[in-house]
Amino acid sequence: MKANRTLNVILGIYVALIFVFVFAPIIFSMIFSFNSQRFPTIPLGEFSTEWYAKILADPDVWEAALNSLIVSTSTAVIATFLGFCTAYSDYRYNFRFKGPYLALILLPPTIPLIIMALAMLAWFSKIGMSGQLYSIVIAHSVLTAPFAMAVIRLRLNQMDPDLEAAAWNLGGSEWATMRHVIIPFCKPAIFSGLFLTAAVSFDEFAVSWFVSGLNKTLPVIILEIVQGNIDPQVNAIGTFVFLISMTLVVLAQVFFASRQLKSTRT
Amino acid sequence: MSSKSGRSINIYALTWRLPIIFWQFIFFVGPVLFMVAMSFFLVKNYRMTEAFEFVNWSKMLSRGYFWDSYWYTVFIASVSTTCAMCLAFPAAFALAFRASESTRRWAIFLLIIPFFTSYLVRTFSWFVILSESGVVNAILGYIGLGPYTMLNTNFGTLVGYMTLTLPLVVILQTVTMANIDKTLVEAARNLGCRPLATIWQVILPLSKTGLIIAAIFCFILSFGDFVAPFYLGGSQEPTLPILILDTTKSGQQWPRAAVVAIMMMLTLFAIAFTGIALAYRKRKGAK
Amino acid sequence: MSAPLVIFDKVQKTFGDFVAVKELDFEIREGEFLAIMGPSGCGKTTTLRMLAGLEAPSVGEIRLNGEIMNDVAPHERDTPLVWQSLALFPFLTARENVEFGLKMRGVDKAERKERALKWLGKMGILEFADRDISTLSGGQKQRVALARSLVMEPQILLLDEPLSALDAHLVIRMQAVLTDLQRELGITFVYVTHSQSEAFAMADRVVIMGNGEIAQIGSPKDIYRAPANQFVAEFVGRNNILSGTVTKLTDDTARITTPSGEFTVPTNDVLLIEGHTASFVISADLVHISIDKPVGDNAAKCKLISEEFVGSMVTLFLEDAQGHEFKVQMQERELSKFDLNSGDEIWLSWDTSSAHVLNEG
Repeated sequence: MKANRTLNVILGIYVALIFVFVFAPIIFSMIFSFNSQRFPTIPLGEFSTEWYAKILADPDVWEAALNSLIVSTSTAVIATFLGFCTAYSDYRYNFRFKGPYLALILLPPTIPLIIMALAMLAWFSKIGMSGQLYSIVIAHSVLTAPFAMAVIRLRLNQMDPDLEAAAWNLGGSEWATMRHVIIPFCKPAIFSGLFLTAAVSFDEFAVSWFVSGLNKTLPVIILEIVQGNIDPQVNAIGTFVFLISMTLVVLAQVFFASRQLKSTRT
Repeated sequence: MSSKSGRSINIYALTWRLPIIFWQFIFFVGPVLFMVAMSFFLVKNYRMTEAFEFVNWSKMLSRGYFWDSYWYTVFIASVSTTCAMCLAFPAAFALAFRASESTRRWAIFLLIIPFFTSYLVRTFSWFVILSESGVVNAILGYIGLGPYTMLNTNFGTLVGYMTLTLPLVVILQTVTMANIDKTLVEAARNLGCRPLATIWQVILPLSKTGLIIAAIFCFILSFGDFVAPFYLGGSQEPTLPILILDTTKSGQQWPRAAVVAIMMMLTLFAIAFTGIALAYRKRKGAK
Repeated sequence: MSAPLVIFDKVQKTFGDFVAVKELDFEIREGEFLAIMGPSGCGKTTTLRMLAGLEAPSVGEIRLNGEIMNDVAPHERDTPLVWQSLALFPFLTARENVEFGLKMRGVDKAERKERALKWLGKMGILEFADRDISTLSGGQKQRVALARSLVMEPQILLLDEPLSALDAHLVIRMQAVLTDLQRELGITFVYVTHSQSEAFAMADRVVIMGNGEIAQIGSPKDIYRAPANQFVAEFVGRNNILSGTVTKLTDDTARITTPSGEFTVPTNDVLLIEGHTASFVISADLVHISIDKPVGDNAAKCKLISEEFVGSMVTLFLEDAQGHEFKVQMQERELSKFDLNSGDEIWLSWDTSSAHVLNEG
């Protein structure tokens, strides 16, 4: 028993070390963003908001932030719509070629982003849609729709299989049932999907960089700064991006959790 | 309840089924197929002309630097996968068997967070932390060690890969092992199986499928990532993603980049296919 | 006798190769409480779902009020169903659940509310009108589900094992609620269940289904006393089934020789042929016991194996010398006149008129 406890302590420390490794870059980036040194190290320099002042004064950053906002919200709406349609089709119907049908939506995230980026860039040039903000939106919705689909599909799994038929039985047409039963039931998952896809889109840089042309998003700006030099501005932008992403993820999780709470109560 | 497939056209059903088909055919299947076609195009005077020539393939596949890069990428992604699987295992084991349900759920939630934070920013952060005068060397300096060169080495590349893959691998391993029937593990212990032997004889075979899938994902992520080898590895030996990047961005040689991309996809398909076949082989035999 | 409200005309239902319903040919009368009973997988739920339009018959016609319903979409029918899972909408309150059907039918808001509250009141759960469904107890949910269907004021109410999720004591209460409701409203109830006690306690008529076919239709008493065939006799239970060879036929009785002895049974229009096999049943509550050999045609000597008490009723399980099992049901105070222990040998006997010959083998 004593050996067991020692082992538990060792394992606990090990898990903690893994978490330190995972979170160290995030936390250090935040610390560096408030540090006066250009090459931050230990001991840390003075507290400074210099880098924030710098990025706030940079019109490029503002434009990129606006672009990121537009791209991630549009992506979220399209991807969640596509994800919902597919999740519902999968839940409700059995049909021929369902396997390939599901592969169509689930495959993109398993292909390296650099390859998707090249393929999208070439294709958009070919069909005359490259270099626009909407090019990023389209590419991102292909990449993120599976996340929305997964979240909504899980929610549909929790639905009493008789619920839909019960609504028909009470005089609701299929369309009315969709509006008054399926969508209300999936609402938490739909919000969860919106925030999740927005968060993924907000951080994506490879595809954005390739297809964006002159319309840069925040991650693309970061990429370009990083390519040039060590510039602590990156930490400031990074912290800003991190906070937005985190807010989105936490919101997604809140909806996810609230729905689990509800399902355990019923 | 489900199938009304007997009826000729069901507008309601098609409304939900068709959007993704259209969208993915135009914006996913289209690009991928076009990229394959593009690998046979010609580039003259920095302009791409549609053709069906094997010149890009023969040029790329006969170059030594391509194969150097290819085998280096396979090698470093394999090392990354091995490291991630080994580093993650004790943590996943602890979370699956020693932690409470709620601790496990919290841990998994925390490990999901990095997916939604900028990988670029995290990599840049490592760049600063690992630099010659960075945080790690400063700390090591206090105990009289170093400074060590960590950037622009394979070690740097691996730190980047771990940043990318470790959270996912820990999550997948934890979920896989948490789903093992605990009574089987207890039964093995009860029958006199020693702890390490239990891991080897019971836990690993039972979680084989999940572990292989974790390894496949880890390999795909490392194989396709250009950020870690570029910024932390210094791209002395360019990996295939860096090759794509260079060929596309600077040389305007999209068809050749497409050749590299297709080679990458074929490699990944082969590895994923073998992995999945391995993962499910024994199960089928047992049935 | 009332007019048929629903007619199943040679209805079949197949799912791929699987035959769920072989051939249904029966009527549901206006205003009756009809129970459809059978073991799981007998096709009873499929029958109900076809009536609600949730499954389409593969062959045959279903007529409601004389109209062919085969191609009428579920939402265009007026056949509300009370689901086994209740299928209440978890994101709506009790009142909103009850209003749902009216809303789908385009009833305006004020009237919806009024009618919903009226029905919640009728079901005795008015104070829970604005509560979340998840906060209600099983019995309360059950009443919401009933109100949700009845607020449509249908001609016919379909119920699919609605009480199966309730505790035993609540089941008895809800049975009373259901029979009272049915009598008060005068509408037709079609009640699917696998529980004999529920079906026999509430229904005017019972349809027994087995393997996708109707095995017998009749009043609970008919089915209990005079099961049509071996399947029904075995399904109903609490029966003693004996099989043997017909050795002597008279005008209205037959002598049947079984391994357990020779017995006289009334032929009741069943075609019996001398030398052929025949089976008959005697309800367990019609069997008498005695210590000494009784006079009369029908008696068997048995050994007491065990007793089972349910309230004041007791069921004796016995075995004769050949190992054939017998069941006897009686009042506990009647049994206490005898001083019996397991292993004791006693005589069973019954009146010839208590025996009932079964159709087929």
